[in-house]
Amino acid sequence: MSESSPGPLVAIENLVKHFPASTRLFARPSYLKAVDGVTLSLDRGETVALVGESGSGKTTLGRCVLRLTEPTSGTIWFDGTDVLALGSADMRALRRRMQIVFQDPAGSLNPRMAVGTAVREPLEVHRIARGKAARDRVADLFEEVGLDPSLTSRFPHELSGGQKQRVGIARALSIEPEFLVLDEPVSALDVSVQAQVVNLLTDLQRSRNLTYLFIAHDLAVVRHVATRVAVMYLGRIVERARVVPLYDRPLHPYTASLLSAVPVPDPTVKRKRIVLAGEIPSPRNPPPGCPFHTRCPHPLKDARCTTDEPALRELQPDRWVACHYAENPMEKPAP
Amino acid sequence: MTALLRVRHLSTSFQTEAGLVRAVDDVSFDLAEGETLGLVGESGSGKTVTALSILRLIPQPPGAFGPESRIEYDGVDLLRLPSRELRKVRGAQIAMIFQEPMSSLNPVLTVGSQISEAIRAHEPVSRKEANDRAVELLDLVGIPEPGRRFRDYPHQMSGGMQQRVMIGMALSCRPKILIADEPTTALDVTIQAQILDLLLELKERFAMSVLFITHDLGVLAGVADRVAVMYGGSIVEQGPVRAVFEQPAHPYTRGLLHAVPRVDRPSDRIEGIPGSVPTATAWPSGCRFHPRCSECMKRCEVDAPPSYSAGTDHTARCWLLDQSEGQRQ
Ligand SMILES: Nc1ncnc2c1ncn2[C@@H]1O[C@H](COP(=O)(O)OP(=O)(O)OP(=O)(O)O)[C@@H](O)[C@H]1O
Ligand SMILES: Nc1ncnc2c1ncn2[C@@H]1O[C@H](COP(=O)(O)OP(=O)(O)OP(=O)(O)O)[C@@H](O)[C@H]1O
Ligand code: SF4
Ligand SMILES: [Mg+2]
Ligand SMILES: [Mg+2]
Repeated sequence: MSESSPGPLVAIENLVKHFPASTRLFARPSYLKAVDGVTLSLDRGETVALVGESGSGKTTLGRCVLRLTEPTSGTIWFDGTDVLALGSADMRALRRRMQIVFQDPAGSLNPRMAVGTAVREPLEVHRIARGKAARDRVADLFEEVGLDPSLTSRFPHELSGGQKQRVGIARALSIEPEFLVLDEPVSALDVSVQAQVVNLLTDLQRSRNLTYLFIAHDLAVVRHVATRVAVMYLGRIVERARVVPLYDRPLHPYTASLLSAVPVPDPTVKRKRIVLAGEIPSPRNPPPGCPFHTRCPHPLKDARCTTDEPALRELQPDRWVACHYAENPMEKPAP
Repeated sequence: MTALLRVRHLSTSFQTEAGLVRAVDDVSFDLAEGETLGLVGESGSGKTVTALSILRLIPQPPGAFGPESRIEYDGVDLLRLPSRELRKVRGAQIAMIFQEPMSSLNPVLTVGSQISEAIRAHEPVSRKEANDRAVELLDLVGIPEPGRRFRDYPHQMSGGMQQRVMIGMALSCRPKILIADEPTTALDVTIQAQILDLLLELKERFAMSVLFITHDLGVLAGVADRVAVMYGGSIVEQGPVRAVFEQPAHPYTRGLLHAVPRVDRPSDRIEGIPGSVPTATAWPSGCRFHPRCSECMKRCEVDAPPSYSAGTDHTARCWLLDQSEGQRQ
């Protein structure tokens, strides 16, 4: 392993990604603000989860960090290196240290390539191993992710969803990265298999000291795997905190609503839900002031929320909230 | 409570190139008046095929029902009803919300005209009356500005709005039974909460019975009065929701309950179920769960277990429940 600098492994500062979005010819050029000023850091060996509704910008942020999507502005530090300043050769070298596992286990594998070859490919591209050495390495990786090495000659359609997702993980791990962006790695899996993959990711993290950016919809899974959580809404982080305080006492009304909406597999628990009205507004046309004000259930919400955008403030150590009334959080609905 | 719908020994299979696919095998359950029965299971367990079989929406061939199969609604067997009679039941008495809203809405027709057509298919009303009813229904399912959204095409709507349209369409003829096939699976939790509230409210308002299909045990716990757990094409356990969650009798149900992390409490390690979900082209022998079962016995590998009582109104298909002499090993 290379010598590493102190401080976080990954530090994202004020990251912005705007997609061009002029809908009509001759219209003024407009922008879709998919990621709009995100600051986030990941310490070595930890899991930071990114949660929020569909379209909130989670995947875009994850892709920007690996420069699979070129950010509009902002800075990304990886182990002390300014990632966005790197030329293509240096970037290629850095790519070895960061990988992504995609949401859709089927769509991310080439249907005409045996899964063993898919795992071997990065080894050869990065000139890490070839021939028999590479094949042995693939067999080891298969075992490490709980796949029978005899499956290497199979094609993706001959594997189950959980098996394909393990292949995706083996492929990402093959070049021994330190940092993984996991984009909804278990969302497509059946419950009984999802637990296996979650445990696998946790075990691999311990044995290899991996750092994860874990993108997820499922807040129950996140509570289970994350060290810290960042809640996104319309391209912005509205709350960022360690997992225990966040789940015990959410300070942003959006976090509170999200958490209360997750169903609990226990018929005796009758949770009071905060049911949010309406849907997430279009990022083409975000509301002025607080981006959440159109749906916010906070009793103190007032005219100021519709005009002044609340800054992301550090209310307690390692606890950031973007709400004017974060000091008076909504009462947790009685269970 | 009287059973409104009685499904007995339902077996549905498909003739395919890979051989006979026994998608649903000897499924029996009752749906009582005003009750919500939750049908839960992982992908490929046969939930959708069960639902489609009730409405006889299985293409035959390649599909076929086993000779013992019966679907009794209001005293008549829907599987043996002439097609013309069946059409009066479908939609009007028993309506269904399909698993994928986008694929069941016609992309080239406005949502309003689709609801309006659905009404006119069952009732002799004028286009104007049907259109007015469609606008009312859009309003009923919480679509803002229903008069304007009437003219929207499905792709102009969000997933949550499409699902509301599907619900409105299903309710257009005031059915007695609503079959909802994973109505919230593709939605964000915030929108899921809205749709679940809407369904519960409409269920009460129109005094419907609901067959609610889901793979989410959390959603299930919140909506169901009784639950039926499917695995490998059959119902392996069924009973009142509290009994099944608190005293699960089948090892698969126990495994599933351990496999879901909970949002309301911290957990150290969740335990998955080893192996993978079987597919209908190659069900395991004996008890279909046996290759993944931690309590598997010799006989489980060869013989399929019958249904045993596991308490009041609570049954499970597992040899562990066999009380007969010399059988426990
Ligand atoms: N290549 C692109 N061009 C234009 N717009 C894009 C592009 N990629 C993403 N967007 C838009 O950016 C916004 C954020 O999308 P993104 O995929 O990052 O969201 P997400 O939080 O990952 O959502 P999901 O939970 O559905 O995966 C969306 O409005 C999306 O339509
Ligand atoms: N028309 C068909 N021809 C052949 N096989 C079919 C057909 N329809 C369904 N099957 C098979 O029947 C089995 C049960 O499918 P079904 O759709 O009922 O599962 P499900 O429990 O609804 O799963 P999911 O949670 O993924 O929706 C599957 O193996 C499926 O491939
Ligand atoms: S700033 Fe106002 S609108 Fe925004 S979350 Fe806080 S109370 Fe709600
Ligand atoms: Mg995404
Ligand atoms: Mg289905």
